[in-house]
Amino acid sequence: MLYKILEVYARPDFPEKLRQHVLLSLVALLVAIAIAMPVALMIRNSRLGALIAINIGNIGRAVPSLAILALALPFFGIGFGSALVALTALAIPPILINASTGLREVDKGVIDAARGMGLSGGQILARIQLPIAAPVIFAGIRTSAVQTVASATLATFIGGGGLGDLIVEGYSRRGPEILLAGALAVAILAIITEIGFGVLERAFTPKGLKIAQKRRK
Amino acid sequence: MSNPALLLLQDLTGGTELVDWEWLGENFWEDILPALQGHIFLSSISVAIALIIALPVGILSARYRKAYPPVTFVTGILYSIPSLALFAILISIPGVAIGPSPVIIALVAYSLLILIRNTVAGLDSVPPETKDAARGMGLTDRQILFRVELPLALPIIVAGIRIATVTIIGIATIGAYINGGGLGTLIFDGIQRQFPTMIIAGAVLATAMAIVADLLLLALERYLRPWARVRRT
Amino acid sequence: MIEFRQVSKTYPGSDKPVVEDLSFEVLEGEICVLVGPSGCGKTTSMRMVNRLIEITEGEILIDGEPNTAMSGTQLRRKIGYAIQQIGLFPHRTIADNIGTVPNLLGWDRGRIKSRVDELLDTVGLSPDEYRNRYPAELSGGQQQRVGVARALAADPPIMLMDEPFGAVDPITREGLQDEFLRIQQDIKKTIVFVTHDIDEAIKMGDKIAILKQGGVLAQYDTPENILSEPDSEFVSSFVGGDRVLKRLSLTRVGEMDLEPANGGTDGLLRIDEGLTVKDALSELIGSGHSRAVVEKDGENGLLTFEAIEDLMGGASGEPSNGGESSA
Repeated sequence: MLYKILEVYARPDFPEKLRQHVLLSLVALLVAIAIAMPVALMIRNSRLGALIAINIGNIGRAVPSLAILALALPFFGIGFGSALVALTALAIPPILINASTGLREVDKGVIDAARGMGLSGGQILARIQLPIAAPVIFAGIRTSAVQTVASATLATFIGGGGLGDLIVEGYSRRGPEILLAGALAVAILAIITEIGFGVLERAFTPKGLKIAQKRRK
Repeated sequence: MSNPALLLLQDLTGGTELVDWEWLGENFWEDILPALQGHIFLSSISVAIALIIALPVGILSARYRKAYPPVTFVTGILYSIPSLALFAILISIPGVAIGPSPVIIALVAYSLLILIRNTVAGLDSVPPETKDAARGMGLTDRQILFRVELPLALPIIVAGIRIATVTIIGIATIGAYINGGGLGTLIFDGIQRQFPTMIIAGAVLATAMAIVADLLLLALERYLRPWARVRRT
Repeated sequence: MIEFRQVSKTYPGSDKPVVEDLSFEVLEGEICVLVGPSGCGKTTSMRMVNRLIEITEGEILIDGEPNTAMSGTQLRRKIGYAIQQIGLFPHRTIADNIGTVPNLLGWDRGRIKSRVDELLDTVGLSPDEYRNRYPAELSGGQQQRVGVARALAADPPIMLMDEPFGAVDPITREGLQDEFLRIQQDIKKTIVFVTHDIDEAIKMGDKIAILKQGGVLAQYDTPENILSEPDSEFVSSFVGGDRVLKRLSLTRVGEMDLEPANGGTDGLLRIDEGLTVKDALSELIGSGHSRAVVEKDGENGLLTFEAIEDLMGGASGEPSNGGESSA
C-alpha cells in the first residue's frame, strides 16, 4: 500500500496539483491580508466600525466553506479564479477580527502616555499599536492560513484544481491509494502550515510581551 | 420576480435564475426538509459524543497537568487535518463503510480540541480561594468538583460547545460527499446539476442553522452566568 | 511659567462646560497641585496644557507664548508627562522607554544611554540591573519610578503629572512622594500635578488649586493659607475637619522658634527635630507630658502647647467649624 501511495507522488501531475494547492492558499491569504489589514487600521479608532467588522466576521465564519465555494460557481463560473475568489472571502474574517480586536485592546494608558510624550498618530501606530498587537494579528493570520489550506481541498468541486483532485479521483475511481495519497498530502501540508505559522507568530511576538504573558500565568 | 436586486443578479448570471422558487416549493418536503433533519442529526449527535469524551478527558487533564500537552497535541493534529482528507482517510480503513458513521467520527474528532481546551480553561478559571474555602468547609474532592468547580466552569465549557457546534455544522456539509447526508447533499447535487437554487438552499440553511445554534448557546451561556448578569446591570 | 487665562472647555454637543473661566499662574520651579472631587475638571485642565485636549475659550501661555504657537506633538515633546496608568510600553526595555522622547528629538545614542543611566540613578534604580529589563519584570512602585524617569528624560522645564503615584500601595506612595520632592529640590521643574487626595496636595504643592464641580476654581493659594483661611464652605469641607492638624503637619519641630530650655532637662520627653509638629503633638499628649525637649544645633529647645498655639497664629484654638467633628 505504502509503495502504491508513493507511486502516486511520483506521477507527473502531482507537482502540478501541489503547486496549484499552495498557490491557491497563498494568493488567497495574501489578498485577504491586503484587504483585511487596511480595513482594520481604518477602523482602529472607531467603536462602531469595530462592532460592524466583528459582526460581519462572525457571520462570515458561520457560512460553511463548502457553501462559499459552491456559491462562487453561479457567479464566477468554473475554475481556478473562481476558487481563488471564494478562498479569499473565507480567509478574510479571522484576520479582520483579530487585527481589529488586537489593535483596539492595546492598553489605553499606553496610548495616552505615547500621545502625551509627543508621538504623532503614525508613530503611535507603527511603534506602539502594531508591535503590541502583532501576536494577536499573527494568530488571526495563522487561523486563516490553516483554514485556507483546508478549504483549498474543496476547490476541486468547482474545477479549481489542487490536491483535492486526487481525493476526488481516488474516490470516484475507487482507487484507495490515490485517495489516501491525496488525503495524506493535504494533511501534511495543513500541519506544516499550522506549525510554520506558529513559529512565525512567536517570532513576531516582542520579547517584552512574551515576558508579560508568562508573568500573567 | 419584480425584485430589482434579484433581476440584477439574473442579468449578471446570464439569464439563468439564481433562485427557482417554484422548485423550492415543490421539493421542500421531499429533498430540503430531510436534508435539514439529517444535518441537525449529524451535528447534534457528534457534539453529544464529543462531549461525552471531552468532559472526562478535560477534567483529568486539568487534574493531571502532565497529560494536558500530549492531549492537546493529538487533538490539535486531528483538528488541523482538512475535513475532506480526514473523511478520505477514514473510509480507507478496512471495515469503515461510506455513510454517516465516518462523518460522525470525523466531526467528533474536530470538536475534541475545542471542547477539551475550554473544559480545562473553565476549571482553571475557578479561583483557588473558592476551592480552598470549599475544602475548608469539609467538602470532598468529588463534591468540590460537582458542586463548585463544574458549575463555575460551565459558562466557559458552553462557550466551547458554541464554537464546536458552529464549526461542525459547517464541516458536516462536506460529509455529504461520502454519503453522510445532510444539507451538503443539496450543495453537491446543485454543483453536479449546475443548479444554483439547490446550492443556495443548502448554503443558506446551513448558515442559518449555524447562526441559530450560536445564538441559542449564547443565551444558554448567559443564563448559566447569573453572577455576571447581575454585575452588568 | 504657565498661565491659564480665562480658560474654558465645553465638549461639542454639551452646553455645560467641564472647565469654566479658569485663571491662575504657575510660577517657575513651583509645583501647582490641581485637586478636587471627581468631575471637577482637574485632569481636563492639565491635559489642555500640552493640548491633549484643545481649549474652547481663553488661552494658556507658556513663558509668555500661547501654547498654540507650535504643533501639538512638538509642544508635547517639550513637556514631561507622567500618568497614573504609567503606560510603559510593554514591548520595549526600560532603557528604550526612558529614551522615548530623546529618541524623537534625535539625540545620538551615546547621549541617550548616559541620560538613561543618570535618570535610573536619580529614581533609585540601579542602571546595570534595570536598563535591559522589560516593564513586566518590575513591581508597581518600580514602574512608577520609570514612568517619572521617562517624563524627565529630555529635561523638560515643565512637567504634567496626573496622579503619578496613584497605582501603588500607601506606604510605597509616601516613599515615592518624599523621593520626588527631594529630586525636585535639585531639578526645580515647573509642575502641574493632579490628584484627588487632599493630603497628597498639601504635601506636594507649593500652590494648590481647588476645583469644584463644573471646573470652577474655588481657591488658589499656598497649602498654609488654604488650611488656615479656607474662603468658602466648599473648600473647608473639602480639606476636612482636621485641617488644623493638617497645618501642623506642614511644619517640622526643628523649624519652630522654641524657647531655650534652661536648667535641667532630665526626665523630660525628648522629641526628634525631624518630626512634624502634628506627630510631636501626638507624642506629647500620648506621653502625658505638657512639655518636651527638642535638640537642635546642639542646643535644647522647649516644646510646649503654648508654642504650638503660637505657631497656629496665637489664637487659642482655631474655630472648629461648627458641626464638624475635629477627629
